[in-house]
Amino acid sequence: MTLSIILTLLATTLTKSVPIIYAALGGVISERSGVINIGLEGMMVAGAFTAVVTSNAIGDPVFGPLCGLLAGVVAGMLVGWILGYAATKFKVDQIVAGIGINLICTGGAAYGLVLIFNQPGASAQVPSLGGANIQYFNLHAGAVALLVFAFVCAFGLNWLLFKSPWGLRVQACGENPHAVKSAGLDPLKFRLAAVTISGALAGLGGAFLSIGELNIFSDGMTSGRGFIALAAVIFGRWTPWGATGAAIFFGFFEALQYVLQGQVAWLPADAMTALPYVAALVALAGITGRVRAPAADGVPY
Amino acid sequence: MKRAIAFISGPIGPLLLVIVMMSIVMIVAGSTPWAGFAALFGGALGGTHELAETLAQTTALLFPALGLCLAFRAGLFNIGAEGQLLLGGLAAGALGANFAGPGWLAIPMILAAGFIGGGLWGALAGWMKSRFNANEIISTLMLNYVAISIANYLVAGPLKSPLASGAETAPLPAGSWLPSLIPDTRLTIALLIAIAIAVILQFVFTRTVFGYELRALGEAPEAARRNHVDINRLTWMVMGLSGAIAGLGGSAIVAGELHRFNTQLSPGYGFTAIAVALVGNLHPIWICLAAFGFGILESGGLAMQASAGVPKDAIHFIEGIIIVVLAARWYITTHVEVPAA
Repeated sequence: MTLSIILTLLATTLTKSVPIIYAALGGVISERSGVINIGLEGMMVAGAFTAVVTSNAIGDPVFGPLCGLLAGVVAGMLVGWILGYAATKFKVDQIVAGIGINLICTGGAAYGLVLIFNQPGASAQVPSLGGANIQYFNLHAGAVALLVFAFVCAFGLNWLLFKSPWGLRVQACGENPHAVKSAGLDPLKFRLAAVTISGALAGLGGAFLSIGELNIFSDGMTSGRGFIALAAVIFGRWTPWGATGAAIFFGFFEALQYVLQGQVAWLPADAMTALPYVAALVALAGITGRVRAPAADGVPY
Repeated sequence: MKRAIAFISGPIGPLLLVIVMMSIVMIVAGSTPWAGFAALFGGALGGTHELAETLAQTTALLFPALGLCLAFRAGLFNIGAEGQLLLGGLAAGALGANFAGPGWLAIPMILAAGFIGGGLWGALAGWMKSRFNANEIISTLMLNYVAISIANYLVAGPLKSPLASGAETAPLPAGSWLPSLIPDTRLTIALLIAIAIAVILQFVFTRTVFGYELRALGEAPEAARRNHVDINRLTWMVMGLSGAIAGLGGSAIVAGELHRFNTQLSPGYGFTAIAVALVGNLHPIWICLAAFGFGILESGGLAMQASAGVPKDAIHFIEGIIIVVLAARWYITTHVEVPAA
């Protein structure tokens, strides 16, 4: 009994952290290149929505969700590219543009929902990632594969950022783009690429939410995870593994409410709903002065 | 390219872009721009009641937008107006439902409760920023969700009216309702209060030391610091006032329209207000006009959905595009030499 609760808690923690991990990894690469990605939330929505629409359009129980994943990534990339283009070509205030991106995606998804599924609020049920049901995770094998892939991405991004010449240049763009320019390279190209990758990762995180963990898209389903991911980026000190750890930390508090529901009578359900957000707030406040953002983070070049 | 830049940086360009985008959105939804715009403007401005509804929406957007304007001017990205508005409304509802005094006393007290409730919530983010250097963009957004949880808990439990079937407070006594400007509509004197706040804000920005320091903090924080501006104090004060104005808006909705508090208080006014504040160029008087424009979109959007079949969520999609285009436009107008026409 107790062991099964602990295992369920661990498994649920991992499940709940997956979308945050993907988005946080996206946040890391974007901010390392010098672009603050407030639009992560919107990119997750774009990914989640496009995945459901694609899966629904194809309809095949195996092929549909796979194409949906791909479409979610592409949708996130596209939105990422738009923010990147605005940030590099037009030197927009990245925070303002990010807020705009979020509105475009949430509004666009709600609009598309009515047009495609003829109902506001939530889509119809669509084919989701299938396979055997995995014990404790309450997920199908396909979704668990996506969970494992999140760690592969963290590993890959870590290598990319810290070991590859390209990644080191991206980092230089976030610290001092003028130096990159002096070296004969175009920092704007690195930033555009980084934000586009960022969007792809966030889009994949969104797709996990809609067709991995569930089989529908509903308005507001990302419920601030893009912003929790931003907190994870800071808490994880702008490193892929740090952000992944932070995302799992926040995922734990989200998992708590599902596992503890009905188990602890004196704690109201609303307090548990607020837990992940309170955890993010405390984490944000608790790391004062001990972290340093990339020097040119958020500064247009 | 130069001509394109000159075009988009003019006043007509963005407006035209919005009209084109809206037309596309209407055509995609299976309607025509003609029918769509007719429904939109008819629904927003077509008669006394429609106009009153538009002005009520304007009011609801104006309070949080003015609050955000204050914070944005100080370089603080408060995106928590939604939560501040909600908790302002909660405080107002909790007080109003349990206070049976005469209107001249009850109404100011209810509004003050909203002001304080929203203000405390805003000041919390400001304090976290000044004390712990916690990024206010993330903290204010997280606080939105915490605010919703608090409100949900209180209206379903301690503050729940025993008579109500849903989760809401007891109704306010009729004497505590805000007087209507036009009978039988949701338009109340809150609109006048909001406009008065806009005028006061403009005065504060241009004529007071506080306003000067606030703008210095936003435009040249290093210069402000070297001139011994107490940045920490200023930060939580600005965030507090910003939340307070949004909270006042929440109490105006409670005392003027719902006459009770429930968590359906705001369909996202706090988020749309971000667009309103930015489109109003962070200038209180322009924000009043921007709020009216968005009020038309919000109230006309419902009519557009009902009679032209265009989902009203398209409005938020367009708002996002407006924000991104405006963000780009600031750069273009300040950094690219536009050839004389």
